[in-house]
Amino acid sequence: MGDILYAPRQAHLEPAEFSDELKDFAEGLTVLGRMVNETRTLAGQLSRGELDIALPDHDNELAAPLKALHATLKHLAWQTKQVARGDYSQHINFMGEFADAFNDMIGQLATQRERLQAEMDLVKRRAEDLERSSSLFEAISGSMPEWIVMVDKETGEHLFVNHPPESVLASDIFEKQLYEILLEYAQPMEIGDEPRTESFSLISDVALQYFELRLYPIMWYSHEAVACVLTDVTKEFEEHSRLEDVAYRDTQTGVYNRHFGMQQLGEWIGAEREFFLVFVDMDMLKYVNDVFGHGEGDIYIKTVADLLAGVSGAAIVSRLGGDEFMLLWDKKDADGRDLGAVTQLFEDLRDKLAASSSVDEKGEVRYARSMSLGIVDVGADNRLSSSDLLSLADERMYEYKRAHKMERRI
Amino acid sequence: MSNIFLKNRTINEFRWENLGDVKMGREDLGEEMPVIVYRLMQFTMLDVLTKEFGSEKANEFFVKAGFLAGSEFAKNVLDLSVDFNSFLANLTQALVDLKIGVLRMEAFEVESGKLVLTVGQDLDCSGLPVTNETVCHYDEGFISGILHAYTGKKYDVKEIDCWASGDRVCRFNAEIAS
Repeated sequence: MGDILYAPRQAHLEPAEFSDELKDFAEGLTVLGRMVNETRTLAGQLSRGELDIALPDHDNELAAPLKALHATLKHLAWQTKQVARGDYSQHINFMGEFADAFNDMIGQLATQRERLQAEMDLVKRRAEDLERSSSLFEAISGSMPEWIVMVDKETGEHLFVNHPPESVLASDIFEKQLYEILLEYAQPMEIGDEPRTESFSLISDVALQYFELRLYPIMWYSHEAVACVLTDVTKEFEEHSRLEDVAYRDTQTGVYNRHFGMQQLGEWIGAEREFFLVFVDMDMLKYVNDVFGHGEGDIYIKTVADLLAGVSGAAIVSRLGGDEFMLLWDKKDADGRDLGAVTQLFEDLRDKLAASSSVDEKGEVRYARSMSLGIVDVGADNRLSSSDLLSLADERMYEYKRAHKMERRI
Repeated sequence: MSNIFLKNRTINEFRWENLGDVKMGREDLGEEMPVIVYRLMQFTMLDVLTKEFGSEKANEFFVKAGFLAGSEFAKNVLDLSVDFNSFLANLTQALVDLKIGVLRMEAFEVESGKLVLTVGQDLDCSGLPVTNETVCHYDEGFISGILHAYTGKKYDVKEIDCWASGDRVCRFNAEIAS
């Protein structure tokens, strides 16, 4: 018995050596020794965490609680593997405090996974939404006639372009020029600013293009960007210019018409500009029309108009009536000329007109081309209205005409 | 006098409905009873069948009855449409709720479908005197029936440890029948 308990390896009995009365006792001791040894071995194995082991014989009642513990540990090992695989549906029953803690842990892991899954689903949905929106945006923007260029404010990089530049620009030399203009407009804009509208033109020797530009500051994939929406308004601009010409130009001579001339005169007076008002009346136009026909009369008119238009690009020349013209010349553009110098300039112009007089086949002058001038120096202190100024110039023109008729008679 | 409505009705052919409305029928005594009554019926039946047909045949009858019970139990109590882990969790809980036993998995090989499980505090055998034999033939059939109902595959289930053979839990090996 002592060996069974304290030295099991050397515990050994040979029942055959015992007398008949003690044989059963000896056999019983042998069974007890085996059971104790098996139980001790199993306890050692369990203490080392060894689970894939041969268990004691079924008849070993002594080892039964340890075998139950072995079954429990086997189950726990399986449960833990299941948790590691992400199976949180299993629970442990009837293992007291350990079961409570384990089941709590599984519950928390399951909740955490659900939360993570929900977040992942949300992120996935957002990504899908974003992708859909992006596809929609690209589809819509691709079919828009407007050109959209998303400019990174910091780097000037083009984050998105809905049409290739060559399909929009009239000349490939415009590309660099255009991007510089866009960046210049985009850089001062801040997120939250109201959209702005600008217009600009691209000019080269071979092409001219007008654009209207709408600028929207936005966040674009974490970039501070400005959406530049460009509309090519070249055709509209040209049409506008054509209509402006129809409305403001005299179709026969190409100079401005009376309406425009008088409008400008009113504006210049209102702005207290200092300028020269030159009233021009063609001499003998009626005679030319009557004698040489309206064709010749028209040539005469065009000659005068061209002469006046050649005075200065900055001067506004308008035809007030059949044989009357008005020239408005801002003193700032008159190269410091005073009234005398301006008068002289127009006298020279009158000589030039006379020199252009029509000659017949024999080289003799058919009629002398001439014009009468009425010049008014309008200062900043002018208080006269446009019609008063025009009347004054008209008056001076008649004086001039009378004087020169006298000259002609003399 | 025959009744046309009760024609062909017999309790001898098992149908889940024939388990009856226990709550209604036992309004005072209720739905539960001591395990000893269950065992009294089971082991007297085993006794009679063994004497009539021999122990091997009697055990075979128990396996067959267990299979029928397991199939019907799975079809009527469990959700067969869920994934295996959920099915297992539901089965474990149902066995506890009905006080049949404490099911615990020890191993499951996905590829082969082989599994090892134990049933503790088993209705059939826990607490029986040790006779050095496995006695849970009904459980073998019961587990096989459940697995068949869920997987559609025939399982051979063999009890390798049993309370009656000296263990504290009943351990079963289950393999898909070749």
